Amino acid sequence: MNRSIKFSLRASLIVLVCLLLPRGAGGTVDDAQSFALQAAEPYVKEGFQVREDYWGGDLGSGEKKAVRQQLFKGNEYWFWMGTEVERAKISVHIYDSEGKLAEQPDSWEKGHFAAAHVIPKATSSYFIIVAVEESSEERTHWALVYGFR
Amino acid sequence: MIAFSKTLKISASALLGSTLCAHAAQAPQHIDVKQMSKQVENVVVPLPNEIFGALNKLGSVNWREYVRTEKTSNFTERPRIALLLGTVIADGFIAVQAEDAPAVKEIGQRVLNLSKGIGVGNSITPHAKAITEAADKRKWEEVRTELDRTQSSVQAAMNEVHDEKLSQLVSLGGWLRGTQVLTSVVTKHFSPDGAELLHQPDLLVHFQTQLQGMPEFNLPIIHDIQTALGQVKPLVDVGGSTHISAESVRKINDITTKLDSGIVTKD
Repeated sequence: MNRSIKFSLRASLIVLVCLLLPRGAGGTVDDAQSFALQAAEPYVKEGFQVREDYWGGDLGSGEKKAVRQQLFKGNEYWFWMGTEVERAKISVHIYDSEGKLAEQPDSWEKGHFAAAHVIPKATSSYFIIVAVEESSEERTHWALVYGFR
Repeated sequence: MIAFSKTLKISASALLGSTLCAHAAQAPQHIDVKQMSKQVENVVVPLPNEIFGALNKLGSVNWREYVRTEKTSNFTERPRIALLLGTVIADGFIAVQAEDAPAVKEIGQRVLNLSKGIGVGNSITPHAKAITEAADKRKWEEVRTELDRTQSSVQAAMNEVHDEKLSQLVSLGGWLRGTQVLTSVVTKHFSPDGAELLHQPDLLVHFQTQLQGMPEFNLPIIHDIQTALGQVKPLVDVGGSTHISAESVRKINDITTKLDSGIVTKD
């Protein structure tokens, strides 16, 4: 079984389990991670290696959080964000160490999924800003995974 | 399973298709970094292969030169085992770069033995098996994924029993070995782009902060690493248009080689 099929099955099984679980307060950061991995799935077929490590937490509607990540010039990165709260709107954006928006124009947001694409111009520390723009829940779990090639 | 896979394929395609129509909302062109720095979450330490991948794009590297499979000392102190474990996982990534199947399999076994030594062997057994199988089939991407999963599982198992500090030492051990090899390669074939891969001052601060929070690990190697990080930081913390010099790369290589020797051999 090739790597992308294995990844697809793994991510999808986690998502399936999450879908079968009761919604709302029962959600966890692990559930959010499964949705972030679902967003990453098509990119694995394009050769992106998705890291096992991830960031996660919960945010109120309108709240933001910054994570910092060392990126290397020469690599190409995608950051995928997900939440199990299906009616939530989330976003992820990438800034360089000077605070300048550094992401590619094909970065996207779609309801409870969002992704940001960066081809670093310099090897340095970058800021990844995650936000819950809107949500029906008081606190919304989020998770952020990344991949590179 | 076929029908299930088909459904999954359709849903993945639907997600990809819908993303093509989705656009990022207007994000501010600038943010106040000083304000953001106060709200930053923990950093994820890059894996050695993330750096090796970038290095490979600058020119071909003879990775076989850096493959290491010789047996290392047996330690009883858990912090030393954790550091060594991180180093050996990094050796695994080097062996994958070199596409050296026997070395990968041997390293997989060493990772398993070290994990047992630190009490987290159970979580590693399936990964060690997967590493061996993938190496036999020369499926290098799968080996890379399994090495990442191995490190992640080791650290998750440590975190579960509140051994977060040991988990941090695993990452540190891997980073040190990765940096040693990176500086060896760049010293041999110097280029400003290769040297720029060392521009990681925030990671150094991250490791320094973590080590300061481990006073209970009163071991010479931990003190040596603390001192070394302090020596390396000014060499890589160059501003704006300044390049990291060949001399700095050589110095960092000397420092990390000495540390690596301290990690793999008994005092």
